[in-house]
Amino acid sequence: MLSTRALGLTPSLRQAAFSSARNHALKNAIRSSIIVRRSVQTQSLKPEDGTTILNKQRLQRPSSPHFTIYQPQLTWIGSIFNRVTGVALSVLLYGFSLAYLVAPGSFDSTHVIEFVGGLPDAVKYAGKFILALPFTFHSFNGIRHLLWDSGKFLTVKGAYSSGYAVLGATALSTLYLMFQ
Amino acid sequence: MSSSLILRSALPKVLIKRSLFRSSIQVRQASSDPFAYVPGGPIYKGTVNDPTTFPPPSKTHGSYHWAFERLLSAALVPMTVTAFATSGTNYPLLDGILGLSLIIHSHIGFDSSLVDYLHQRKFPVFGPIAKWTLRAATVGTMVGVYQFNTNDIGLTELIAKVWTA
Amino acid sequence: MSVLSPAIRRLARASIADARAFTTSSSRLQAEPLQKPVMNKEFKIYRWNPDEPAKKPTLQSYTIDLNQTGPMVLDALIKIKNEIDPTLTFRRSCREGICGSCAMNINGQNTLACLCRIDRDTSKDSKIYPLPHMYIVKDLVPDLTQFYKQYKSIQPYLQNDNPPEKGEFLQSQEDRRKLDGLYECILCACCSTSCPSYWWNQDEYLGPATLMQAYRWIADSRDSNGAKRKEYLQNEMSMYRCHTIFNCARTCPKGLNPAAAIAKIKLELAAD
Repeated sequence: MLSTRALGLTPSLRQAAFSSARNHALKNAIRSSIIVRRSVQTQSLKPEDGTTILNKQRLQRPSSPHFTIYQPQLTWIGSIFNRVTGVALSVLLYGFSLAYLVAPGSFDSTHVIEFVGGLPDAVKYAGKFILALPFTFHSFNGIRHLLWDSGKFLTVKGAYSSGYAVLGATALSTLYLMFQ
Repeated sequence: MSSSLILRSALPKVLIKRSLFRSSIQVRQASSDPFAYVPGGPIYKGTVNDPTTFPPPSKTHGSYHWAFERLLSAALVPMTVTAFATSGTNYPLLDGILGLSLIIHSHIGFDSSLVDYLHQRKFPVFGPIAKWTLRAATVGTMVGVYQFNTNDIGLTELIAKVWTA
Repeated sequence: MSVLSPAIRRLARASIADARAFTTSSSRLQAEPLQKPVMNKEFKIYRWNPDEPAKKPTLQSYTIDLNQTGPMVLDALIKIKNEIDPTLTFRRSCREGICGSCAMNINGQNTLACLCRIDRDTSKDSKIYPLPHMYIVKDLVPDLTQFYKQYKSIQPYLQNDNPPEKGEFLQSQEDRRKLDGLYECILCACCSTSCPSYWWNQDEYLGPATLMQAYRWIADSRDSNGAKRKEYLQNEMSMYRCHTIFNCARTCPKGLNPAAAIAKIKLELAAD
C-alpha cells in the first residue's frame, strides 16, 4: 500500500476497490509492475542491526576541541588557578611534613631557618613572592567561594566583580607580605 | 575545592592518553565486545531513549561531605587570622588544630582532584593506586605535623621565623 | 504635491503602476540600488566528514562579503552553505534563538549562531567550532545523545499524586515567580559544554543545563516529588562535580543562570 500511495495511485485504487472483484486482477497487475520496475537494491535488517551500525559510526567520531579553543575568561581561568594554588600549597605542606617524619634531623626548624637565612636576598624575595601569591589568592578566592555557597554574588556580574576584588586583594597582600 | 581543569592540562598529554588507552583495553578485554560501554566513550549504556542512571544515594558522599568541607574552610579563616596575630608556641592547641584542619582541607582538595581527573571508573588501575597513595600520605603528614608541633617549634612559628630569616 | 487634486494623484500612480507592469526597462523609474563596498571576512570552520573517518578534523577557511550577508553568524553559515560549499553541515531551525539548534563555539564562546552578531572587524578571522568536548557526528553537529539521556533522567515533568479535586493545580504568584529564569531554558547545551567539569566527567556529572532543570522541578510548588528528586543528587558525581566555575552563566545565550540554580540545590540538600 505504501508504494502505491507514494505514486499517487491511492484514489484510483480506492475506486477499484468499490467496483469489487472484477478489478482485483488489474490491481495486482499494477502492483507487480511497480515491483518489477524498481531498480534500487534493498537489504533487510533486523531491528538490532541499527544499533550496530550506529555504534560503528560512534567509534569513529572525533571529540571536539575544548580548553585549547575556549576563550580564556576570568571564570574558568580563576577556577583553575584556585585549584593549582591549592594543590601547590598542599604539596608543600605534605612534602615538608613527610620529609620531617622521615628525617627529623635534617628538616628541623633550626636547619630550615638556617638554610633560608643563608640565601641571597633576591632568592628570598622571589621565594616569598612564590609562596605569598598562591596563599593569598587561594585564601581570598576561598572566601569568594564561601560567599557563593551561602547564596551571595550568584550572578555573572557578581562573579566578575568579586573576581576582580580577589585579584586586587591578592596583588596588594602579596606585595605587603613580600616586604615583611 | 574549586576548579576542574589542571591535571588534565598540566599532566603530559601522552600520559593521559596512554592510561585512557590502557583502561579502555582493560574494560574491552573483560567483555571482548567491540561495542562495550567505556565510561566517557562514544558508546552509551542502553538505547537513546533510556535515561541515564544515578549512583546509589549517599549523604556521606553528597551533602554531608559538601557541608563539612564548607564548615572546615570557613573555620580556617579565623584560625589563619589568629595564627598571624599570635605565636604558635603560646597557643600549642590552636597550632595543632590549625595543622590538622589544613591537612584535612588539603586531603579533601587532593581527593576532589582525583575524582575529577583520575576516577577509578576511567582508570581502573591507576585510580585506586592514586587514591590509596593519597590516604597513606595524609596519614603520614598528620603524624609528621604532630611530631613537628610537639618536638619542634610548630608550624606557625616555623613559617613566621622562616619568613623573617 | 498637496496642490494636486486626489483624482490627478490617483491617475499618476496608476500610470506608474502600468509602466512597471508592462515594461522590462523600467530602471529609470526605480531608485538606484546603493552600491555597498565589498567587505570580505574570513571564517574558519571546523570540518570533519564521517565518510572519510581517517582524515583528522581540520579548519576550513571561507571568505564572504559581509555587505552581501545578514548580520548574524548563522546568516554567514547559510550563505557559505548556499553559495560556496553545500557540504558544510550544521543544525539550524528557528533563526531567532528559541529552538537551540545552532548552538556552537564561535570565537571561543559557546552561543547560538542565530543570536551572535558577526564581528565587523574584517582584519580578524572568525573561528567556528562545534560545542566543546563532544563527539562529532559531522562538521558542526555534535552527538547530544548523552545530554538528552541525562535530561530524561531527572524526570522533567510534574509529579503529584494528589491532584486538586477539581480544576488545575493552583500556584501563588510568588511561587510562580520562583520558576522565572529556570523555565526559559531551551536545552541548547551551550552551558553544559562550556563547563570544564562536564568536559572531564560528562558520563556521570549531569552538567549545568540538566541540573538547572532538576532545580526547576524541585522549586515548583505544584510538584510533590521533591524529596526523591533531591535524593537522586546525593552522591559525589551527579551534582557535586560542580565547582562554581561560572562558565555556564557566563555563556548562556538566553541570559539564564545555571550556576545560581545549582548553588540553591546545594543549599537545599545541606539543609535536609
